[in-house]
Amino acid sequence: MNDRKPRRFYWFEGVTRDEIERGLNDTRPSALRRQAPRRQLVVATAFMTAALAVSIFIPQVKLQSYVEIALLAGILIAYFMLRKSVRLVSDAPDELLDERQIAVRNAAYTVAYRALSAISFPYMALVLLIAPEGALSGYAIPGTWSSVLLSYLMCCASLPAMVLAWRLPDEPAPMAH
Amino acid sequence: MGRQKEEPLFNRIEQARAARGLSRQQLADAVGVHYQTIGYLERGEYSPSLSLALRMAQALQLDVQALFSIQPFHED
Repeated sequence: MNDRKPRRFYWFEGVTRDEIERGLNDTRPSALRRQAPRRQLVVATAFMTAALAVSIFIPQVKLQSYVEIALLAGILIAYFMLRKSVRLVSDAPDELLDERQIAVRNAAYTVAYRALSAISFPYMALVLLIAPEGALSGYAIPGTWSSVLLSYLMCCASLPAMVLAWRLPDEPAPMAH
Repeated sequence: MGRQKEEPLFNRIEQARAARGLSRQQLADAVGVHYQTIGYLERGEYSPSLSLALRMAQALQLDVQALFSIQPFHED
């Protein structure tokens, strides 16, 4: 039987049982219960993530730093909203989900993995493009690359929830008779 | 061999649930799934496993063939 400790922390998924159960059983109305606003959030997240990667081309260092911080804050907010919009299904362990939720989550991970494989190429091209001659053979990663690396990491973290948020239809009401 | 495009599965869950005065949440609790899953099933956006189909038929006191069909139901 399942361990019923509400504070149980799932290390591999990075969530608690309580957090998942609250997310799944939240019946408060929200715009993110509908597909269209969820898709807008996905587009906004994708745009900010791409913008963070190309912010390295801003010539003024100070301006580039401000843009990088603003975009990173925006991506982090969008990341948590995305997770909430899919009721944390993208991060939940099997034992807290039903068969449909497991099926849609697994399908989303398959698509996300393929998308990440494709997305990795532009990132790699960007790194090769901006790398000073000989830099790739050294150990040091220049500071200007941080936005590219952060963008890629946030892309890896957000993609499953983005795919799930894009694919899920409008949510049905709980108390319908 | 590639997987065939999934055939639609027709159901009468909503009618059977309404006839017994159950909400989606109550039916979901009875069969051990999330209430949204009942909604997606009713809308034909998810095809259940055999185990879930049988549990739903039992909870709604119907034969599984009376609840699910690969042919559209002809309402009486």
